[in-house]
Amino acid sequence: MIHLLVSIKQVPDTTNIRIDPETGSLIRKGVPAILNPYDAHAVAAAAEWKRKLGGKITIITMGPPSATLALQECIELGADRGILLSDRKFAGSDTWATSYVLAEAIRKIHEEDPIDLLFFGKQAIDGDTAQVGPGVATRLEFPLITYATNIREINQDEGFVLIERKTELRTEIIRATLPALLTCEKEIAEIPYAALPDLIKSLRYETETWTAEDPVIYDETKIGLKGSPTKVSKTGTPKQHEPGETFKVAEIGLKESVDTVFEKMISNSSVASLWE
Amino acid sequence: MSNEKIQFDVVVVGAGLAGSTAAAIAARHGLDVAIIERGRSPGGKNFFGGALYTHSLEEIYPDLWDRKPPLERPVTETGFWFLSKDGMVKATVQGGRINNEPIDAYVALRAKFDSWWAEQAEEEGAFIIPKTLVTDFIYEEGQVVGVTTDRPQGDIYAPVIIICEGVNNILTQKLGLIDHDIQPTKAALAVKQLISLSPKTINARLGLPSRKHGMAISVVGDVSMGMPGLGFLYTADKAVSLGVGVTLHALQETQIKPYELLQRYLEHPAIAPIIEGGQLMEYGAHLIPEGGWKEMPKLFTGGAMVAGDAASMVNALHWEGTNMAIVAGKQAGLTAIEAHQKGDFSAQTLSSYQDGLQERFVMKDLRQYRRMSKFLANHPEFMEIYPTFLNDAMGNFFTSFGKPKRQLYKEIWRSLTSRRSLLKVIGDMVSFGRAVIGI
Ligand SMILES: Cc1cc2nc3c(=O)[nH]c(=O)nc-3n(C[C@H](O)[C@H](O)[C@H](O)COP(=O)(O)OP(=O)(O)OC[C@H]3O[C@@H](n4cnc5c(N)ncnc54)[C@H](O)[C@@H]3O)c2cc1C
Repeated sequence: MIHLLVSIKQVPDTTNIRIDPETGSLIRKGVPAILNPYDAHAVAAAAEWKRKLGGKITIITMGPPSATLALQECIELGADRGILLSDRKFAGSDTWATSYVLAEAIRKIHEEDPIDLLFFGKQAIDGDTAQVGPGVATRLEFPLITYATNIREINQDEGFVLIERKTELRTEIIRATLPALLTCEKEIAEIPYAALPDLIKSLRYETETWTAEDPVIYDETKIGLKGSPTKVSKTGTPKQHEPGETFKVAEIGLKESVDTVFEKMISNSSVASLWE
Repeated sequence: MSNEKIQFDVVVVGAGLAGSTAAAIAARHGLDVAIIERGRSPGGKNFFGGALYTHSLEEIYPDLWDRKPPLERPVTETGFWFLSKDGMVKATVQGGRINNEPIDAYVALRAKFDSWWAEQAEEEGAFIIPKTLVTDFIYEEGQVVGVTTDRPQGDIYAPVIIICEGVNNILTQKLGLIDHDIQPTKAALAVKQLISLSPKTINARLGLPSRKHGMAISVVGDVSMGMPGLGFLYTADKAVSLGVGVTLHALQETQIKPYELLQRYLEHPAIAPIIEGGQLMEYGAHLIPEGGWKEMPKLFTGGAMVAGDAASMVNALHWEGTNMAIVAGKQAGLTAIEAHQKGDFSAQTLSSYQDGLQERFVMKDLRQYRRMSKFLANHPEFMEIYPTFLNDAMGNFFTSFGKPKRQLYKEIWRSLTSRRSLLKVIGDMVSFGRAVIGI
């Protein structure tokens, strides 16, 4: 029997979102909330392995009471238990505070019922930071594998996983000891059409809410706005990049081209430092 | 994942008006009821003209008004508009008994209303399973005992199934309750637009005193381009709903595209100014079963009943469909309760569903109007000649200043008889009378 945990987030459907041109911030009003798409694939992957190995899936999320709907969707995809971390005191948490809250809650779950493998989405589509998964792994001192695209093997007897991960240049195959934490790309699993018993279970799901005091007591200086070192001074849409200078190799010759580019790079301080 | 059989006391197919009503009635009695709906949410895709009728809503929820139903405007002016090519004669009624409380009809938007109606059923204890398509039936010893769905491990069992699948009655056909698909001559395709306008604009353009006043209009004549059919106009709170329905058969014959028909209606010189500057909110097409009595399937078999549009329960001339669906849903719910009390779900027991409906306007009216769809198909003059004549006659009457009036009446007479002989006119009136009275 395996115990899988998936950490998910309810996000505004950014495909439907607009930016207020005056304030530069997202207009969230009237935008439907959805389960973060990467997280949905992570849940689907967990469900596939639950089916193969037998066991159970716990879902955890931090969010407002309405995030119940996202938990419900995870149950529909095959999860067994959904925990909502919801408290006014959590409001305003940045990725630093969020990973603290999630890590402590996961520690509690892990104590009571040891977890073998933890799944996160690659990133949440409303913030695109990709920091929470790695933050939790660091706090819990679990091996971290980001951008996972395929789970080759989960070997409970010997206590390891074999994971494929995508980098810009190649695919790496990583072996990590359990419990490990993955952040998942969409390729990790297809989202299935849920079985009827799972759909019915999700419709009957009643939220299990954890607060800032119960069953885990959090250090209040580390949560919410107070516990969040990130300060957003300004948001906006980046200006369109001016195209750079162009040098045609065919016109000025190869040597000349290389020299020119090299000189430009040297004159750029950040690159120059590499040569010192 | 358990391999336990999914079992309910009653399964209802479709969370439209018929379905949510049947489920509410059975659940209120304590039965364990599931409603299976293919849409993401109940009512999400449903639409109509249209108006709901207070009598039917109050029959199911006597405390209706405490529940704050999401209705748009009460209908305080209703009747016919007769369109000629470039003019219109209005024959509407307002005040008097139309204003008697409770108002008889309310304009509604179905996406809002149907999800609310389904919530009421949930409050009674019904369990809604959305996003799931019922595909077929499960039989044991010739009796229906459940349904299959499009989901893995998707079988659901119940000793009684109430089919409220709407006009496209594939399951009703699969069950053998009717031996053919819906006929092009017996179904109208309605296309409509919901156009948003400020309440002030709506009131000003239609002459309504306030937002607490609304209109339900049947539009006859040029709107259907000579095809058997009707147009309509309903006022929501902040939008007007305009549409036109004609038989599928006529559309096939004439090759007229439904959206062209609607476009032409909306551009009619008497209609265009009403919606000028409005924003399109919703555009859709939906079938209306118009075969009535003659196209009615068998209403029950061992373990199953069928209600609403799926059973052809629409009186097209009076725009009565929702109230029939609701009353039939209720009757089916009551019959399901009775069957559970007896512990017998045979066709014999379920026949009391039909007996119950015979006592109500549903079967009485459908029987009385059984010749209506054929009558309309055979008498295009009611869509063409008479509305035009009416416009002509009134136009003449009110422009005859300074002319000898004998000539006026001659012209009016000629405007009729040049279009249709007196004998035929008399014949038309007689057959109209027969179609309405049902003899
Ligand atoms: C343009 C127009 C104007 C109208 N105007 C009026 C009016 O003014 N007044 C009036 O009283 N009536 C009017 N009607 C008629 C009225 O809308 C219908 O008679 C009424 O909606 C019928 O209700 P129902 O519950 O039988 O079907 P529906 O409301 O059609 O509901 C059927 C439900 O079943 C679901 N379903 C179907 N098949 C399956 C399946 N296999 N599995 C799961 N779910 C399924 C559908 O998604 C749907 O939710 C109008 C109709 C139209 C098209």
